[in-house]
Amino acid sequence: MSEDSNPAATPTPCQDIQGDGRWMSLHNRFVSDSKGKEPDVLFVGDSLVQLLHEFEVWRKLFSPLHALNFGVGGDATQHVLWRLMNGELDHISPKVVVLWVGTNNHGHTPEQICRGIMAIINVVHQKLPHAHTLVLGLLPRGKSPNPLRERNASVNALVQVEAVSLSHISFLDMDPGFIHSDGSIAHQDMYDYLHLTPQAYQRVCQPLHERIKSLLDKHAP
Amino acid sequence: MKSSYLCWFQVWRELFSPLHALNFGIGGDTTCNVLWRLQNGELENIRPRVVVLWVGTNNHEHTADQVAGGILAIAQLVMTHLPKSKIIVLGLLPRGEFPNPLREKNAAVNNLLRASLPRLGPVQFIDMGGSFVHSDGTISSRDMFDFLHLTASAYRTISTTLHEMLLQMWEETPQERRASLV
Repeated sequence: MSEDSNPAATPTPCQDIQGDGRWMSLHNRFVSDSKGKEPDVLFVGDSLVQLLHEFEVWRKLFSPLHALNFGVGGDATQHVLWRLMNGELDHISPKVVVLWVGTNNHGHTPEQICRGIMAIINVVHQKLPHAHTLVLGLLPRGKSPNPLRERNASVNALVQVEAVSLSHISFLDMDPGFIHSDGSIAHQDMYDYLHLTPQAYQRVCQPLHERIKSLLDKHAP
Repeated sequence: MKSSYLCWFQVWRELFSPLHALNFGIGGDTTCNVLWRLQNGELENIRPRVVVLWVGTNNHEHTADQVAGGILAIAQLVMTHLPKSKIIVLGLLPRGEFPNPLREKNAAVNNLLRASLPRLGPVQFIDMGGSFVHSDGTISSRDMFDFLHLTASAYRTISTTLHEMLLQMWEETPQERRASLV
């Protein structure tokens, strides 16, 4: 499948259909933020990354690791790809890039989304040859079983296969068991059955924090 | 309220939970969506003392007149359904990092509301957007992390104002043990 024929792997900026230019404002801010900062860890992705920054857990677990957050709500793989190819990686050299994206790729197949994620990983590897990319598994979503849960699970399976053969990436399953035995997701974990509550963030971030620390330790001279 | 994020910040627990508040906010909702929800069960089983309404910024297909009309329609519906409740309508906040048409539109909606809400009855209008636009016309990401949604600290600032108004309303209305706020 060529990059051109896969919309999930074609770098695409977000069109300003609403009229206040916020997406580009955020991108420009990330580019300028990255000048003069020396993060060891870069988080990049969609709202699950962006909102993480607004809760206490960011300050407690990730600020101490010198992390920057380049999450944008609504972003799909093609948007993250565009951002990283257009300045967001140009002024920093983090040791670990944490990538969490794919759940907003509506209309794309799991294969297309996986290739989109791989395209992002390739760009990171080209611009930051010494960085390790930690790809986070897509979470289940929706109150009850639905096709997006299956799609996300398929993406995760495909990405995990890719991760096995590449030493500069690894995969982390972020689901601590959000789906109950009756197939439902609780609003105490996802208040809108997509985004995480503070308590759910605490749960998923513990193992994430441990994994990032161990990657940083391996990276140390 | 419109925004679903508010209830997960500390400020909700500190200021609004003690007032027995419920949060029926859904991210992305337009006035049409809120109207539908309130017509289809969300007001059935509760008798709040106060209803706080905050919606309109997502009505991208509509003019300022239409948005104001939608908000008025919601206020009417609440008054019909809950004749004893007071209503607070929050003004639409400015948005976007720089001056842009949506800021003008939201301000126009607020002006229309300021003029027409008092005629409806016990409806208060609070515009808390003033402090967010700096002298150079920009909004800071310290207040709106994506130039639309409020940070925890910005929520704290506006919540203090809202909370004071609610306490005032509490003192003005007769005692009711089962007070609640929606």
